Amino acid sequence: MTDHENMRILISAYIDEELPETERQAVEDHLVACEECQRFYRDIRKISSSLKNLNSEPLSPDQEQNIINQIKAVRSREGQGMRRFEHYFPYSAMSTLIICMLVFTVSLRVYMKRNVQTALRDAQEESVPQVAMPPMNAARGRMEEGSALREKANLAVPPSEVPSSQNRLAAGPLEPGEKRKAVMEAVSGPVLGGEVSGEGFLFKGQPPKEETPLGIMKQNEVPVRKDRELREQESLPVFYGESAHKTESWALERLEGKADSRLGDRPMETGALTGHYAADESRVRSLPAAKVMMASPAASMSLTPAIRGDTANGRAGEIYNYTDKGLVPMRPGFMIVEPPKDRDEAYPYYGRIKEENTEEYDRVYENEFLSVLDNPLSTFSIDVDTASYANVRRYLNAGQMPPKDAVRIEEMVNYFVYDYPQPDGDEPFSLVTETAACPWNPAHHLALIGMKAKELSGEEMPASNLVFLIDVSGSMNRPEKLPLLKSALAVMVGRLRPEERISIVTYAGQAGLMLDSTPGYEKERILRAIDRLEAGGSTAGEQGIQLAYRIARQNFIPQGNNRVILATDGDFNVGISSDGDLTRLIEEKRGEGIFLTVLGFGTGNYKDSKMEKLADKGNGNYYYIDTLQEARKVLVSELGSMLFPVAKDVKIQVEFNPSTVQAYRLIGYENRALAKEDFNDDTKDAGELGAGHTVTAFYEIVPAGSSEDHRKTDPLQYMETVVGDSGDLMTVKLRYKELQHDTSRLITRAVPASQAGEPEEVSDNFRFGAAVVEFGLLLRDSAFKGQSSYLDVLQRAKASLEADAWGYRQEFIRLVEKAAVLDSAY
Amino acid sequence: MKRADEELILEFQNGHEDAFEELFRKYKTPVFNFVMRLLRNRADAEDVVAEVFMKLYTHKHSYKPQARFSTWLFTVARNTSISRARVRNRFSSLWVSHGQSDGYEEIPVPDSSPLPPEHLIGRETAVVLQEAVEKLPDDQKEALILREYHNFKYDDIAAIMGCSLENVKILIYRARVRLRQDLPSILMEGQND
Repeated sequence: MTDHENMRILISAYIDEELPETERQAVEDHLVACEECQRFYRDIRKISSSLKNLNSEPLSPDQEQNIINQIKAVRSREGQGMRRFEHYFPYSAMSTLIICMLVFTVSLRVYMKRNVQTALRDAQEESVPQVAMPPMNAARGRMEEGSALREKANLAVPPSEVPSSQNRLAAGPLEPGEKRKAVMEAVSGPVLGGEVSGEGFLFKGQPPKEETPLGIMKQNEVPVRKDRELREQESLPVFYGESAHKTESWALERLEGKADSRLGDRPMETGALTGHYAADESRVRSLPAAKVMMASPAASMSLTPAIRGDTANGRAGEIYNYTDKGLVPMRPGFMIVEPPKDRDEAYPYYGRIKEENTEEYDRVYENEFLSVLDNPLSTFSIDVDTASYANVRRYLNAGQMPPKDAVRIEEMVNYFVYDYPQPDGDEPFSLVTETAACPWNPAHHLALIGMKAKELSGEEMPASNLVFLIDVSGSMNRPEKLPLLKSALAVMVGRLRPEERISIVTYAGQAGLMLDSTPGYEKERILRAIDRLEAGGSTAGEQGIQLAYRIARQNFIPQGNNRVILATDGDFNVGISSDGDLTRLIEEKRGEGIFLTVLGFGTGNYKDSKMEKLADKGNGNYYYIDTLQEARKVLVSELGSMLFPVAKDVKIQVEFNPSTVQAYRLIGYENRALAKEDFNDDTKDAGELGAGHTVTAFYEIVPAGSSEDHRKTDPLQYMETVVGDSGDLMTVKLRYKELQHDTSRLITRAVPASQAGEPEEVSDNFRFGAAVVEFGLLLRDSAFKGQSSYLDVLQRAKASLEADAWGYRQEFIRLVEKAAVLDSAY
Repeated sequence: MKRADEELILEFQNGHEDAFEELFRKYKTPVFNFVMRLLRNRADAEDVVAEVFMKLYTHKHSYKPQARFSTWLFTVARNTSISRARVRNRFSSLWVSHGQSDGYEEIPVPDSSPLPPEHLIGRETAVVLQEAVEKLPDDQKEALILREYHNFKYDDIAAIMGCSLENVKILIYRARVRLRQDLPSILMEGQND
């Protein structure tokens, strides 16, 4: 080592301030003299500071939750087991904590009994603790502990005393007493007293109690076995078929996101739970915390609930019962054991493992052509949601074709702003119709029905009382979720008027009021609260919703826009309430004048269908937010429309004239269809129209005289259909209620058939809207796509760029180009 | 005033679980990043982090107050990572590395908002730097990571890596010399000496 190198070693340490005074002086002296070493010094400093500035990557929230769950599981076991073990440890050479589970079934009762006997015998015979996990077909693992406990209790437990049915176990103490307690512990392990519901961060609540209530099975000790051992285990009772077993473990690995990495110790969801049904229906829902959802015991077999875990890592999942109340986390004393009345109906998720991607889309059954003679009336509620477009964009930008059912054409069409005229006079909106040849089927016509709500000037706008209900569960801790919302919120706060009020409620385990209702002039305070928002913990949506509504109620502004805005990635671990209860709550509050808007965030765990339904029930809009641009569009630009409704329960009914129209098809609005009677029924809820908002619907029309036959019924025998002599194409009827009224008003507009124009003469609105429809048909690979082509879509979209102040139509063109490439690759 | 880690672990040893919670909050990210940099595989790193905190939870008494808590925890993390790497190597034929996507199965959402150019340069530098660090020999890399990313003093690094202080000094020096050679000239003033 040269002196030069020695000096540089010192320089390196000098930079780290690791040199004693004398050497430091020497380095400084040298640096003054030596230019090369100066350069070295500067470079190293530069490297050092650049390295220090590199961002660290956060642990994914899912993984974090996973760790928390593992620790919770261990903690629950320790709660009893470890504490006792600590006493034993000096005497015992036990190196491994062995856990096990006992499954009780009616049908397997005899079998199980035999195994318990064997296991007890084994345990007594074994003087040396086992290190490896014994096979799981019986409750053997726990037996070692069990035998110790039994000794302590000085009881010989005949296996016949083991409670034989889950019903009895869960139903509560049967015959209190030391004996039974010892049995319980022997067979099921120490009973945990910890929090198992996933609320809060880690250790909410008291440490486990020494005394355990009897007759309660809790899940965390549910034992766990290793996958491979399981497979090798020939004598495994046939709890479920081989294929189901494979599917489950595969799905779990997928759900853990790291199947490969597990190798030696895969988590295995214990499968003793689901009985025969599991074979074909097993699926576990992949909640972010890798929770496992299970059904309650089936009719023929009452079983211990489900479990998943990993002995080595102490991994354990939470357990959910699927009940008529929805998903209910299993709590001590809260196990539902009554068999379902009708399995298929009551337990749609019964014991299933669900794929890793939990995005859910309702199946869209496309509207078909309807004969005008059979169905002269077409009725639907307006839909001003735009979420589907943003979602489609997300897929395409990620290089994937969107799932068909994620493509809702009316939402794509309504994503864009159309240049319809302002309403005149007192009417809250204008109505526009336009007809031309259908671009993808020249034999058909395409009719556009558009409306535009009155734009309000700043003073006219009612004051807003907004309660943001923000999901701050761990899964929101992603750049495209909570941070995105925070940035957009901050921009929105800048636009708040002084008289407006904003509150922030968070939910993550426990609902919390982050910001009590604060007037718009206290922007600083609002911004500080937004800044404090942080994701962590698990989700329980319902309590948060109640709190949010209460705050909204307390700060209710008469004539104002009172609204709860729910921002979530969709994972409601609906702790105590079912979808039905939630819906009822939202509907009830809607009656009180508090509406609900839903903002959906994120990927992978996103319950599209549920969120849309919630927003529908709350008279609100539903937006999917994937980029900051979109967040701003929704929260800032659309503040003027979505937040200021000018009319509610807006319904459209179109009556077609059979003398000019043979059949028609409403494009999109599948989930907004209303019965024809609903149109005049003011109790029937429908869409809301915000100030300045436009709504567009398209009908594809088969003109009279066409050779196509869309009649599905025979002509009536006793009633003669007389078609009136009219040159109208159709009559558009519109019903709406003013915000403060419960009775609707009607607007009627007859559309002459002669209006049908040539494709070249149509307005920009029509041309662009039709292009969006056509794009949707292609993405859906619709049965009605006719001669649609990406090229046509592009051509027509590019010809309609005049009204594109925000660049949304340009973006649309880019998406079409992407889709064209992706689609052709299939 | 925040409590020192050493106080927290003692409290935890005495049964206060919220002390564990605080330690977890504080160390989850550093430990994850440390392990990730050692293993260069997200799925493995996540497993190891889980294991490390599990060990902290279940073996809390193996921490002795003579040591600094962070040093102790990083030693645990290091040892766990090494065991994992061994297992991993043994089964390496079973592995198909998907680079960054390991352990993550969702659709990547590309950032659609264009970044300002200076941002891009900063990003590129970071990538180049990280790549250069990854190419370092394991021991140099580890010492440098502990020093630069985690700000450990040399004696802590020596304790974590189980080597001498002098050794740490030289490892870090060599790592730096090597980085200086590997990094593009635009970033450095010169490596002609």
